Amino acid sequence: MSVLTSEWLKIRSVRSTHLILGLGLGTVLLGFALAVMAAGMYDAAPPEKQPGARVANLEEVLVIVPQLCLGILGTLAITSEYATGLIRTSATIVPRRWPILAAKAAIVGALGLAVGLLTTFGTYVVTRGVLGDRFSGAYAGAFTDRLPLLIALGLTVPTFALLGLGLGALLRSSAGAIAIIVGLVYVIPMVIGNIPEPWSERLGSVMIGALPRQLIGGSNASSVYGSLLPPALAAACLVAYAAVPLLAATWLIRRKDI
Amino acid sequence: MVRRAGDPPPGILYGVIELHHLTKSYGSTLAVDDLSFKVEPGHVTGFLGPNGAGKSTTLRLILGLDAPTSGQALVNGRRYTSLRRPMREVGALLDAGAVHGGRSAYDHLLCLARSNDIGPRRVSEVLDQAGLAGVARKRVGGFSLGMRQRLGIAAALLGDPGVLMFDEPVNGLDPDGVRWIRELMRSLAAQGRAILLSSHLMSEMALTADRIVIVGCGRLVAEATVTELTTRYPSLEDAYLALTSGSVQYGGAR
Repeated sequence: MSVLTSEWLKIRSVRSTHLILGLGLGTVLLGFALAVMAAGMYDAAPPEKQPGARVANLEEVLVIVPQLCLGILGTLAITSEYATGLIRTSATIVPRRWPILAAKAAIVGALGLAVGLLTTFGTYVVTRGVLGDRFSGAYAGAFTDRLPLLIALGLTVPTFALLGLGLGALLRSSAGAIAIIVGLVYVIPMVIGNIPEPWSERLGSVMIGALPRQLIGGSNASSVYGSLLPPALAAACLVAYAAVPLLAATWLIRRKDI
Repeated sequence: MVRRAGDPPPGILYGVIELHHLTKSYGSTLAVDDLSFKVEPGHVTGFLGPNGAGKSTTLRLILGLDAPTSGQALVNGRRYTSLRRPMREVGALLDAGAVHGGRSAYDHLLCLARSNDIGPRRVSEVLDQAGLAGVARKRVGGFSLGMRQRLGIAAALLGDPGVLMFDEPVNGLDPDGVRWIRELMRSLAAQGRAILLSSHLMSEMALTADRIVIVGCGRLVAEATVTELTTRYPSLEDAYLALTSGSVQYGGAR
């Protein structure tokens, strides 16, 4: 408990945390701006073209912003200690070491969950308010129909926070961990979309971006992602992204010289 | 604090560091080689040796940052890594630069204190003691090396421990700071604490320490009081140079 208090103070006493959380929450404003633009284009279009107009599911598109932000927050929570050498002091005053990682995981995980749910729900609410029944009622459906996807999307954000923390602790380097996270979000899905079947579908199903829809039993048709996983496997996959690097890092931090 | 029957009466602090055949090798390089000595309570023990002699590694081994290849280091009779509230028994300054520049001095110390159930009142006390009360809310990034040394010393004092270890604490300090450290070390030792002080400044060491441990190539070269050394040699510096003349080599064959 004392380590948790200490780590909570560590994370909120640096400016970068506030900046990153602010950027993550700014997603809602971005969603609002994009919705206003879309509504303007829709209204300006000739009436005969309006029925065929489509809009992307904005909370699903924009979730990469809080994902990246919290991935970076999780990374910096540990790599800033390696970069400054503070980790040696931390390991000296908490000789068992693993409570340091556990406390950091609890904090960035909780912040990730809060930011994830706030941004997906917030983006949904403002875009629904702006778009009304435009785009053939894409945003006019019942809230309860969309609820499972919003929660599933929100859950990917703490996953990124814990993934960042785990990678940061394994690599002891901000640049390395953040490069892998960006690769997971942008680069690898693009590569996978261009490899031959059945591997494109198989690998595309285990990408983090593919998990929210599989989690709610839906499909990722018309995207680079696959849809092979049943909800339980998708959930296990999401947990593995968060837990595997973190457990490896916990094992390592107890053994390696610091 | 660990107190045992026969130890000094309550109110007087007590601490001791014991090294038993401590050995650490990195691959084929022996950084610390069968090192045994004791840091007694109530004294400032100077820890001397050429660069690369294994002083910092020894301190890291005592603090459990590195695992010894063989042998052991005991603090108050226990292995450091078995301590649950280590700040209350051991305070250490290894690297004054090891702070997050974006954090204020007060927040930095409170982060450390909280992990060992030490409250904000003690943080203010040590800031005061280190002469940093006026800059407590300033970001550490703007601190000079001397101010960081003071901050590192304040951190070591947080738990009011019986054992204190300082690696080159005088670096970057102004004459005022140098005198402050010297008097602080001596008064901390006078309270019964065991102080291990590593430094290359011989004249300063002669003024501050009363016992000396000299290492070379990871091995114990000499263990004596300052008085013994200055009786046998013209000065502590001469003693040091004579005793370590055979062990000043960097990565040389052993």
